[in-house]
Amino acid sequence: MIFAQSLIKSYRKGALVTNVLKGVTFRVAQGEFVAIMGPSGSGKSTLLNILGLLDRPDGGRYLLGGADFSSADDDALSAARNRTIGFVFQQFHLLERASALRNVTLPLLYADENTGDEMVLAERALEAVGLSDRGDYLPSELSGGQQQRVAIARALINDPALILADEPTGNLDAQNATEILDIFRRLADSARTVVLVTHDRGVAERADRILAFEDGRIVADEAMQSRPRASTAKVP
Amino acid sequence: MGRSQRIAGDVLASLLAHKPRTFLMMLGLVVGVAVLSAVIIIGQGTQERIMGLVQMHGLDMLMVRAGGEMQVFAPQADRGLASLVEADARAIEAEIPNIEMASVVQNQRGITVVHEDQSVTTRAFGVEPAWMEIRRWGIAEGDFISESDIGSLARVVMLGAKIARELFPEGGSVGRIVRVAGDPYTVKGVFVEMGASAGGDDWDDRIVVPFATSSRRLFNRPYLEQIVIRVPDVRRMAETAARVRALLRVRHGIGPSENDDFFVREPEDVEGAALETSTTLMALLIATSVVALIAGGLVIMNLMLIAVSQRSREIGLRRAVGARASDITRQFLLESLFIALAGGLLGTALGVAVAAALGALGVANSRITWVPFALALGACMAIGIAFGVRPARQAARMDPAASLRGHAA
Repeated sequence: MIFAQSLIKSYRKGALVTNVLKGVTFRVAQGEFVAIMGPSGSGKSTLLNILGLLDRPDGGRYLLGGADFSSADDDALSAARNRTIGFVFQQFHLLERASALRNVTLPLLYADENTGDEMVLAERALEAVGLSDRGDYLPSELSGGQQQRVAIARALINDPALILADEPTGNLDAQNATEILDIFRRLADSARTVVLVTHDRGVAERADRILAFEDGRIVADEAMQSRPRASTAKVP
Repeated sequence: MGRSQRIAGDVLASLLAHKPRTFLMMLGLVVGVAVLSAVIIIGQGTQERIMGLVQMHGLDMLMVRAGGEMQVFAPQADRGLASLVEADARAIEAEIPNIEMASVVQNQRGITVVHEDQSVTTRAFGVEPAWMEIRRWGIAEGDFISESDIGSLARVVMLGAKIARELFPEGGSVGRIVRVAGDPYTVKGVFVEMGASAGGDDWDDRIVVPFATSSRRLFNRPYLEQIVIRVPDVRRMAETAARVRALLRVRHGIGPSENDDFFVREPEDVEGAALETSTTLMALLIATSVVALIAGGLVIMNLMLIAVSQRSREIGLRRAVGARASDITRQFLLESLFIALAGGLLGTALGVAVAAALGALGVANSRITWVPFALALGACMAIGIAFGVRPARQAARMDPAASLRGHAA
């Protein structure tokens, strides 16, 4: 699903150049649940943005589902994000004045073809995260855990192959964090690929595999022994 | 539903979800459009009232009289003035701008009209069909003199109301034969009661025949007493009169030191001045409201620019879930367009209400037409697009990853 080779990214601020990614290489197979773990400021989020086609690497090679997007234009990148990727963020990023249902259907706005009955899809997605009775609620009327589940439903509505989550439990208490991670577990078990970024070892351990990330590099690739890996990593 | 309609629907839902923000953004335009449409409505009402006055009092008519200024005040007796001819009227029509139509006029007192045993002596006029429109006389029965009556030197006659009453006390004069200076004429029509002129002339005590009939038969002379002229733009009355005078001086071969052998009479200028004042005031108010509209557009643009940076996370999120840069452009352009249109509608409604209220109070004349609506709609669409482009471009250019972190790029 994911093939990353020697990814390099640096930011320039005035005369100061910060090298954020210093040659990142790894693969993730379809259906794998992978945690990228590292301290804050180590470049995890930058890596996730590149994996999610929100940013481009300065160097190296990145294939998503076997496709190379290095020369794709904005329309093609946007379409790929819409179809194959679902994002989940630490701050949920819900539209505050929109109901849960409207938030969940947001990606359908930008779908190329009509996906059928939006409301049916949205209700199905909310059901998948256990919120089918909260469709008409505004984000402010929901708890943090519920808001994050709405965000996951939004990520799921276009049935993406890849879920990218950036500190998804960072703003949640332990109980809610566990519930959210259970949802990711189930998604991975149903052949979706989940890549989660976290600084929290406890969260990372819920994944099949942990990529330890430090100072712009992957320093360790650790398979969790407690549960069997879904499949061996293969170049898609 | 296509992508564009889905985005438009989303924009509407989002504007409705942020009513205070939306209202604040349209406020400037509402005021501008309200002033503009009230000014237009009142302006049109005023214009209409003035045009009504102009028509009622013949303020759009120039009159050229035979004989110089001094002679006009000479005794009424036959002055024997032989200066004005039909060719002068045709030249005025053809050569001078701001002239809608002209009619030659001949008249002579002491014409006897007889029907059976009734006889009256009155003043006869020979005119062209345009005279009726220039003088705005009304017809009670029958028709006015036509071009073909002129062409055929027809012996037809129009009767003033008083003459008709005296010759035909029982009515039904149209189509009957009367004798005018001994010759038989068919009565073609009867004028409505016109009353008397300011100078005491009884307008109902006269008959009117075709000009060709008067010049070749009844009076048997080519010279005119008057030429009457309709001037469409009454604000240029003085200028037009001066041109008529200059043309006639040339045509009549009058040297620089000689006096005119004709007199151009202009209508009283009071209402013309009023018209001019109101036009100036209108122009000033319209300019003011155009400035207000542009200010309203700038308000929209600046609030949109602020909104774009405040909403960078929303923009980043939309980009993350698949919005193209062009979708973001479309979203913000539609937002400013919808805001501008709503502001325009609200403003027009407010302007109409204000103008109607002022009209009802008798403070102003208001006349409601489609003009302010069309103008407001057009102006607001233009403003919405013109001032929405920059924020929309800025929103679309934002880096998706940076804007998700809340950094407006």
